[in-house]
Amino acid sequence: MIMLVILIPVLTGVLVPLLPFKKRSHMELFLETMVILNSLLVWYLLMNRPTEIFTLANFTGNLSISFKVDGMSMVFGGLVSALWPFATLYAFEYMTKEEHEKVFFMFYTMTYGVTLGISLAANLLTMYFFYELLTLVTVPLVMHTLTREAILASRKYLYYSLGGAAFAFVGLIFVIIYGSTTNFVLGGVLDFQKIGDRTDILLLIYVIAFMGFGVKAAICPFNSWLPDAGVAPTPVTALLHAVAVVKSGAFAIIRLTYYSFGTEFLKGTWAQNVVMAIVMFTILYGCSRAVKETHIKRRLAYSTISNLSYILFGVTLMTPLGMVGALSHLIFHALMKISSFFCAGAIMHQTDRHYVHELDGMGYKMPAVFGVFTISALALMGVPGLAGFVSKWNLASAAVDSGNVFAYGGIGCLLVSALLTAIYMLTIVVRAFFPGKDFDAGTLEGVKDPGWKMLVPLFTFTLFIILFGLHSAPIVRFFGDVAAGIY
Amino acid sequence: MYYMLLSIFFPILAGVFLLALREMKVRKNLLCLTGTFLILEAVLVILALCMSRGEMLLLFNLTDRLPILFKIDETGVIFAILAVVIFLCAGFFSFEYMKHEKSEKRYYGYYLIVLGVLIALCFAGNLITFYLFFELLTLSSMPLVLHNRSREAIMAGLKYLFYSLAGAYMALFGLYFIEKYGNTLTFSAGGVISTQTAEQHTALLLGIAFVMLIGFGVKAGMFPMHAWLTAAHPAAPAPASAVLSAVIVKAGVLAMVRVVYYIFGASFLRGTWVQKGWLVLTLITVFMGSMLAYREPVLKKRLAYSTISQVSYILFGLAVMDGDAVTGSFLHVLSHGFIKAALFLCAGTMIYMTGKTKVEELRGIGKEMPILLWCYTIVSLGLIGIPPTGGFISKWYLALGSLNSGIPGFGLAGPIVLLVSALLTAGYLLPVTIHGFLPGAEFDGNTSERREPSLFMLIPVIILTALTVAIGLFPNGIIAYLSRIITKIV
Amino acid sequence: MDLVQNFPAVSILICLFAGIISSGLKGKAARYVNIALILAVMILNTCTLGYVLHTEEAFVYVMGKFPAPWGNEIRAGVLECFMAVFFCMIMLLSLLGGKKKLADEVEEGKTFLYYVLMNLLLSSLLALVYTNDLFTAYVFVEINTIAACGLIMIRQNGRTIEAAARYMIMSLLGSGMLLMGICMLYDLTGHLLMSNIKEQVAILSVSGQYRIPLLVTIALMSVGLAIKSALFPFHAWLPDAYGYSTVSSAAILSSLVSKGYIFLLIKIIYRVIGFDIFEASKIIDVLFVFGLMGMIFGSLSAIKENDVRRMIAYSSVAQIGYIYMGIGMGTQAGMAASVFHILSHAATKSLLFIAAIGLTDVSGGSRKFIDLTGAAYRNKWAGVTFTVGSLSMVGVPLFSGFISKLLFAQAAVQNNGKMLPALIVLGISTILNAIYFMKTVIRIYTPVEENKYECVTFSSMKLYAATLVCFIGLNIILGVNSQPIVDLIQQGLSMFS
Repeated sequence: MIMLVILIPVLTGVLVPLLPFKKRSHMELFLETMVILNSLLVWYLLMNRPTEIFTLANFTGNLSISFKVDGMSMVFGGLVSALWPFATLYAFEYMTKEEHEKVFFMFYTMTYGVTLGISLAANLLTMYFFYELLTLVTVPLVMHTLTREAILASRKYLYYSLGGAAFAFVGLIFVIIYGSTTNFVLGGVLDFQKIGDRTDILLLIYVIAFMGFGVKAAICPFNSWLPDAGVAPTPVTALLHAVAVVKSGAFAIIRLTYYSFGTEFLKGTWAQNVVMAIVMFTILYGCSRAVKETHIKRRLAYSTISNLSYILFGVTLMTPLGMVGALSHLIFHALMKISSFFCAGAIMHQTDRHYVHELDGMGYKMPAVFGVFTISALALMGVPGLAGFVSKWNLASAAVDSGNVFAYGGIGCLLVSALLTAIYMLTIVVRAFFPGKDFDAGTLEGVKDPGWKMLVPLFTFTLFIILFGLHSAPIVRFFGDVAAGIY
Repeated sequence: MYYMLLSIFFPILAGVFLLALREMKVRKNLLCLTGTFLILEAVLVILALCMSRGEMLLLFNLTDRLPILFKIDETGVIFAILAVVIFLCAGFFSFEYMKHEKSEKRYYGYYLIVLGVLIALCFAGNLITFYLFFELLTLSSMPLVLHNRSREAIMAGLKYLFYSLAGAYMALFGLYFIEKYGNTLTFSAGGVISTQTAEQHTALLLGIAFVMLIGFGVKAGMFPMHAWLTAAHPAAPAPASAVLSAVIVKAGVLAMVRVVYYIFGASFLRGTWVQKGWLVLTLITVFMGSMLAYREPVLKKRLAYSTISQVSYILFGLAVMDGDAVTGSFLHVLSHGFIKAALFLCAGTMIYMTGKTKVEELRGIGKEMPILLWCYTIVSLGLIGIPPTGGFISKWYLALGSLNSGIPGFGLAGPIVLLVSALLTAGYLLPVTIHGFLPGAEFDGNTSERREPSLFMLIPVIILTALTVAIGLFPNGIIAYLSRIITKIV
Repeated sequence: MDLVQNFPAVSILICLFAGIISSGLKGKAARYVNIALILAVMILNTCTLGYVLHTEEAFVYVMGKFPAPWGNEIRAGVLECFMAVFFCMIMLLSLLGGKKKLADEVEEGKTFLYYVLMNLLLSSLLALVYTNDLFTAYVFVEINTIAACGLIMIRQNGRTIEAAARYMIMSLLGSGMLLMGICMLYDLTGHLLMSNIKEQVAILSVSGQYRIPLLVTIALMSVGLAIKSALFPFHAWLPDAYGYSTVSSAAILSSLVSKGYIFLLIKIIYRVIGFDIFEASKIIDVLFVFGLMGMIFGSLSAIKENDVRRMIAYSSVAQIGYIYMGIGMGTQAGMAASVFHILSHAATKSLLFIAAIGLTDVSGGSRKFIDLTGAAYRNKWAGVTFTVGSLSMVGVPLFSGFISKLLFAQAAVQNNGKMLPALIVLGISTILNAIYFMKTVIRIYTPVEENKYECVTFSSMKLYAATLVCFIGLNIILGVNSQPIVDLIQQGLSMFS
């Protein structure tokens, strides 16, 4: 069953270029059916989760490729499988203007399976395996347009990701050697007898591994691949480089911190302070760069960098509450960012405008898109009543609760970043709805909202942003259970 | 008690309705609609105030620990009445003033939304509800600022937005800590921090309190985060400036009242460095605002600087934390509200009628519009603090409280600064009157003839002037009502 | 004595005979003889492997029944047999994959010579693997060198001759040092058979006599073999030799010949000097440092390279650095990792050479990157294979390179002093590998506007494609099912001592 949900998308992806579709709509139908089917399967699996570990193959010794559904898998797997059908639907419309559709959808769908693989992995090695695969299947997507820019971006993406994985690998080795098991166990698996007096080295390795996985989560100074990777078609940027890929990085760090090294070992050490400092710096760096950026997608990409570090900030608090904060931002940021990226994509698709200063007055021509964009902007800023507020609240109160004075500074970073978020998001909104006096509406002749395939995902995400904003208690309680190890 | 909800959400929904409506062909319909909404809202607020028994209304839970609560208490009542009166006056004033502006519908839409949000702020029962509407207030009042969409206005709007958000986030910073150390965010007179916690975490909590004061101080135009105010208020259309300057800055004041007296508690802050720091900041602001206003040639900007200065009178009174001073503050909330609204409306009328914006150019205006200028003069006197206007009473109480408080240094320094500033106020407000009535020998009086503005403009100004005088003449009722608040919180 | 025990000796001998016979045959016939030979040797050694696994101990085969210390011995343990089988397999695949190219590059009349050399090479490799006698080892080292030179030179153009000359000089320097080392050992111990020397060396080290000469001996032999296997500062001969010779030669040279020497070094470490004594000497640290430097500088040179074949050649320098790093760690685990990497690198590197030739052939024979653009669309099989090889080199799970990295890192963690440098260099070198291999992969998958070159179809390269599939299969087997192999290596290493 677990294998099935990973294999279905991969096989579907492989089949896309092989099957002789007569019409484009047939391919769409096929893809959408398979993706929805798989998502349903995933949800079924998460609801009736098997408790035992399913082992596929043994590498060497006690290293195996095995899968398990635990709380974290439920969170990440649930997120991914909920977003994918919508993103696919969106992609159908977006890709009408791009070439090589089949190759695109092949890798796009395969990525689904690989991401699920990450979320369902039962040990560090399996996760690492899918983590590397994820890099490989997404490179063709970045390369898609095959312009010189895209090629350079995909190269950079590859180097960064593989390089990061190389350092994450070092952490993997240490967990293998010093852990009592390689499976994920909440609270960590390190065997303190084996460690003896080598604590400092282990902490150093934790920092190295954190940075390694952090490459995918775009922590500073390893973030420059992410804005560059924005040359990919928007469904990719939105789903992969705002959710699946980058969140895999964050997910991996959660696994590393909470399930492998264990917070008990890390909390209060210099390693915690180091990673927290890096994360805090990234939060500020990301959003200040976003303010400077005038290309919409690059701006959003920098925003992603900053927001990913929100998640990591929660992780580095190393308390159950911190994890709750991290998880809630993991989910909520996914919703907010995918919806703002989809808006950006819709704008680019409908008008071929890519820069912020070209958006004057478009709010009246594309009310639906800009309405959704405004909501997501407000949510990202953390206006109460929208999802972003809840996750920020959870993060900040976890920081307060941790009693770590250094973490108080982190709250400051969160808030400064919220202000910068307001600056870079709301300037777009203001431009769109309140163009300058000399604005000539004639330049926007014929611009209109996109078709239903784009709008349905947008509205759905917005609905959920508001829903989670107003009534987040059940899901946050669920996160609490996950962090407490109940699942 | 559902009137309370209705009075909050009716104007918001009405505003959204207006925004969503298609552009109307006949302007009159729009005005009728807006007028009806405004009056209905006034009725609803009055009903809500009358029917309230002071119970809490839990709307829903944002998260497990964050309820959205509403409650009507005396402090809220004062601010709510101020808001409704001024919004009504300025609203009707707009009917004439906005005649030649574009996208009127949008203006009225946001105008109504802002009113609803303000009422919600007044009725908020805990800090998170307050914070929610505080942010919404910023967001919904921004379109009023950048209404005419000139480059300057848009920049001013953004400046307003980002300053306010910065302030809000500083406040949010404190919110996180209060939630943890106070264990609740619900307002309760005298504070929510238990003495035990207060002793254990004094340094931290004081730091937090100061950050929150600075943060909420942004909205109240308190030094050092006041720069937005002089950009934003003059950029808006005059009636919008009136509500911005008279009411919306008071949201910052209300926030500080709530934080100091209902969350931390006056007893916790009294005598600490936070109180002293706050006092220093308010006095700097009072003096600086007046000085800058004195030097400013453009009338609306001058009024904006004046707002900076005058709101800090209120804050000074709050910072003294003495019964009389706080009474003075509340009185000044009302009288400054009415006065500043009247002043902006007067200024708006002058600009509307003559197209002149600088004080220097407004010579001989007293001949054209004597009633208007008389109103202007009366409220100016009020702001300076000359009896029998409201300004006198409030400043009297402020000075009295300050002298009584016995805070070393500030007890005396406060009243002196207030006095100097009052002189400056006279210096920057009265030239309009003087130039208006006594244009000077070289002024050619023949070009101007008497042409009073339309009643839509004149009546709101007269009402506001009357209210100012009324407070001055019959302050006892209000003071009695205020003493009910003061005994609880000080 | 069982019949099987004769097989190693027989396989060496039939190689030599096949060489002699082939010299009288035509090219095509020589080829068949060669293929038959390799298959036969493979079967023989597989039987031996099975036998050794069954008896669970190594056996010594005394040539001509002369007893020690005069006779010539062959020793066959698990690891030796396995290596022999593996070498045959790689050689076969490399030859099959490079067959077509060979026909283009080598004159019709000289083809048979190529196979003669190949037979000799195989015999020398087998001998290096099996011998229990240092002098025999030396003799076959020389045979190996000569055969390798011939293999480089057989494609006759100026560069190969220069490359061969360079190779010859460096190699002879290396063999010279090896010879000196052997002489000194003979002086010190009076023996040439490995097991006898080891006993004497142990006695010497206990008594503390001849400490410095012993150290010098170890140094001479290690450095001699390091030169021959192109460890970092001694690698100057390598890029030309691998880059310009015919493709099968390059594949075989890089994946087998240098590995033969390394295997000999490992054998000397275990069977002649003794692991503990070797570990105690400073030489091991030198090897470790050179290994680390090789990992970095080899990759850096590869990044700078604009010629795909030379790039792969430089990558060999880096990979050999990995192996020496493992040896230099001085632990059993490090050694096991090194041996595994010998296998995985042999499998991957020959795959890369063979795949690269497919790509350059569809790009007008040019090896410059600019011409390779889009080559993977013109020759899909080679493209996929090259990608697999690259991923394996970068260390992506599922492929053999990942397991070597895993083993290296695990070994590093167990060694306190060398842990951090090893891990950090491992990380950096992975990034560098990623840079040049992934750059190439992206390059070959970047389509070009108008196709200058022909696409090849599957039917025109059935054999080639089949070889590639075998290579990929081999790589994935090493990557996925590594546990038995690692067990085997460990068992073999423990049989050494």
